[in-house]
Amino acid sequence: MRLGIVRGHVTLNMAVDAFRGKTLVVLEPVTMENLRAGNGRGGGKSLVAIDALGAAEGQVVAFTEGREAANPFWPDAVPADAYCSLIIDSIDVTP
Amino acid sequence: MFLARIEGTAVAAIKHPTLEGCRFLVAQRLEADGSAAAEPIVIVDWFGAARGSTVVVSTDGDIARARLGNTTPARMVVVGLVDQVQLRKGAAA
Repeated sequence: MRLGIVRGHVTLNMAVDAFRGKTLVVLEPVTMENLRAGNGRGGGKSLVAIDALGAAEGQVVAFTEGREAANPFWPDAVPADAYCSLIIDSIDVTP
Repeated sequence: MFLARIEGTAVAAIKHPTLEGCRFLVAQRLEADGSAAAEPIVIVDWFGAARGSTVVVSTDGDIARARLGNTTPARMVVVGLVDQVQLRKGAAA
């Protein structure tokens, strides 16, 4: 998983049926430099992920990428490649 | 699989139900020259890897699925604690 800051939500007009009722968030991945600085900045290339945890804007999530992002919907086939797995409360990376 | 250095721990109260009770570590992927990737990763650890130690991480979700069930989104898992990595000098360049 990578870490990402929730920057917003996506509402779809038309979508594949499998996305019906699912929440999409825009994530900005966090670099180690920004994580250590705790400056609230991300620094990575933004992406869209499915969120079932109810993450709010500004919160940091850990998101799964790849085939495993669709596992929570097993045995349904959902064309998701990013999924919010954790809403982070705290990270301790002090040396 | 790749090498990663453990930088710390992550705590999350709200998570996918299959991840309840898992230990989450924050790590940085390592290159052969010892440099670290810009973005940290959060990995599941069942070995008790220590901060500062080097581990091998697999991105295959099969181990996680076997342990946590078919619906788990867990993917990156510590599959070994590294004793030593021997690299020929200059080979990384």
